[in-house]
Amino acid sequence: MGKPVKRPEQSRSEQAFLPEIAKGLRLTASRFFKNTFSAAEKGDIATVRYPEEQREYPERFRGVHRLTQREDGSPRCVACLCCSTACPAQCIHIEPAEYGDGDPRKGYEKFPKVFVIDELRCIFCGMCVEACPCDAIRMDTGIHMPPALERDAFLLDKEVLLRVPAADGSVKSANPRHEPGDHTYPGIDRDRSGH
Amino acid sequence: MEQEQPEAAPQPVFTLDGRQIPIEPGDSILKAAWRQGIEIPHYCWHPGLSVAANCRMCLVEVRSGRVMALPVLRKDEATGEFVSATKPKLAPACQTPATPGAEVYALSPEAKGAHHAVQEMLLLNHPVDCPICDQAGECKLQDYWYDNQADLKRKLTEPVHKPKAVRFGETIVYDAERCIMCTRCIRFCTEVAKDPVLDMRERGNRNEVVLAPGRTLDHRYTLMTEHVCPVGALTSRDFRFKARVWFLKTAPSVCSGCATGCNTFADFDPRKGQLFRLRPRDNPEVNTFWMCDDGMLSYREVHEQRLLGPTQSKRDGAARIPDQRLYTEPDVVLAEAIADVIKRDASLAFVANAALSTEDNTALLRLAKALGHSRVYLAGRPAWEGDDILRNPDHNPNRAGVQAAASELEMVLVDAAELVNSATHFGGVLWLGTEHAVDVAELRQATSALWVLGTHQGELAAAADLALPVLSWAEQSGTYTNAKGTAQSFSAVIPPVAGQPSAAVLLTLVGEVLQSLDGSNATRPSGATFSGGLASGTASEAPSAAGQGEMVR
Repeated sequence: MGKPVKRPEQSRSEQAFLPEIAKGLRLTASRFFKNTFSAAEKGDIATVRYPEEQREYPERFRGVHRLTQREDGSPRCVACLCCSTACPAQCIHIEPAEYGDGDPRKGYEKFPKVFVIDELRCIFCGMCVEACPCDAIRMDTGIHMPPALERDAFLLDKEVLLRVPAADGSVKSANPRHEPGDHTYPGIDRDRSGH
Repeated sequence: MEQEQPEAAPQPVFTLDGRQIPIEPGDSILKAAWRQGIEIPHYCWHPGLSVAANCRMCLVEVRSGRVMALPVLRKDEATGEFVSATKPKLAPACQTPATPGAEVYALSPEAKGAHHAVQEMLLLNHPVDCPICDQAGECKLQDYWYDNQADLKRKLTEPVHKPKAVRFGETIVYDAERCIMCTRCIRFCTEVAKDPVLDMRERGNRNEVVLAPGRTLDHRYTLMTEHVCPVGALTSRDFRFKARVWFLKTAPSVCSGCATGCNTFADFDPRKGQLFRLRPRDNPEVNTFWMCDDGMLSYREVHEQRLLGPTQSKRDGAARIPDQRLYTEPDVVLAEAIADVIKRDASLAFVANAALSTEDNTALLRLAKALGHSRVYLAGRPAWEGDDILRNPDHNPNRAGVQAAASELEMVLVDAAELVNSATHFGGVLWLGTEHAVDVAELRQATSALWVLGTHQGELAAAADLALPVLSWAEQSGTYTNAKGTAQSFSAVIPPVAGQPSAAVLLTLVGEVLQSLDGSNATRPSGATFSGGLASGTASEAPSAAGQGEMVR
């Protein structure tokens, strides 16, 4: 047993079909002339001329990733691979390395020798930002990935990611971090512990 | 574990959290539970080492026998008053002997409370640098934190800092901040490796593991110290920062390093098809819990210096094989070359390899037998230094297996050195594997042609007229028979790096050689029949194959 569907009431002119076609074409034609000859500034046009013209994104828009810097410009990233573990699109490639002899961070930190994000494969879910224990990766740039003709242009490496600024222009993170070797570091290290 | 018990005396048992646990003579509570696959939380106890009982993580409540109780004040939540109470004195399960009929609780509130407290104490000065720690993901501190503490840290002051990234030797890096002083590494070096190079100094939160003065950690079992370390204090320089353990999958395998045939777990990244490390797999009959450094690092040869495609000799005057033929039908080129030597009535030599599996070698023996040979040479890696712990002086994993396969096919194995030493000049030598212990220049003097079915680049493959890539132990299944005569099978771990299974190449060769000899399909044994013969290992196949060999001669 089917459910009875009420048929729409149609006037005679609607049932005649041709007047309705003319009505529709008149609307189409009017939009054509409006879009072609009217000025965009007046707000008559619903679309924008992307990419020359862009809409304002909401504050929490997830843009292109950036890697935050420390005070000395080195990446905050310690190459723990939590972001690439969390990434559902598997678009983050990291090769860790170790700070060498004589570096105050030796033993406390490793760093990404290679850090590449494939922005084409990325689905901009923000899981990498959630997973990061060091506030090293952020998506607060507000930048929509610009178009390019080569796929390689979408592979952003560590040098590019470190230079991309946040929407407010900062390349650091708002969360302070004090590490062994920094003059702000509160702890006692072996040299100051007296043994 | 499966010892026969006399029927008159049933095996004694005790109860652990209501479960009956059988007792072997001399068992502690922890060990008896471990045999049953029940884990009482522990750090310092290891089934292969002596009992130290210093981590206090395995405290359990024993409610039978003479129960010891301590008077305590306990807060009454209803009234807010402290009232007198008693709490049971807990016993370390690793050191307390399991007594028949004992009533033990590891999950009682008292025991769980002790686990919580010990866990909190061990983490007091822990740096919690899990993001940069290689142990993260397989760390007992993490596991037991989730099991027993799962609570925020209450200590707000800066943790005590101790040396980090101290290089103990070529293989091991030590981080004193992560160390919980369980002394497993120290006991391993002293008791198993018989080289007491590690010890500890200071006490309390200044405790750290140190090397003996003037020494580095350089014995042959250094990577085992990392393996026994329950936390991230000791890390392997080979594996350090290469991969996170949660990306790796594990497959059981057998070490190909020497005739001991240690059982291994091969950890590989399935996304890359790459091996990252070998770990010992417990087998009381073979390697107990241990492996040597060379064995653990032998995974590297699967990815290093591999023969990636058919190659031909670049020597002056060597006949060039056209690239078209070399890359599309190298096996036919090889078959024709072998047939050519047979037609010229020159002598032909087949070389089996003790470093390869029984299956690969059986295929070579069958090829030799089909061509009418009953004498096959046996090559292998040169001997290395053995010891009394695990390392066998024979560097080859499968000498016994090849010998067994040869005697089953009624063939004679001769050492490959005879190829060079004998006065015979050979028309051609077919060498299985790239492992060898002969002087390659002298070998080239002794033979007009040299063909290699091998895994690795190197002197032998470079000197060969034709070298075809085949699969290594990690990419195909096989069997090694160790020096004790135990046959141990392993299966493929990673997808092929390069080449084909050598058994498949060799069995195809049988048909192709016979076809090249007389061009008739009538005498060509089908590959399927031959594989069947190989799989069943029946002798019925052999006479007919040998007969064909005789006929073409």
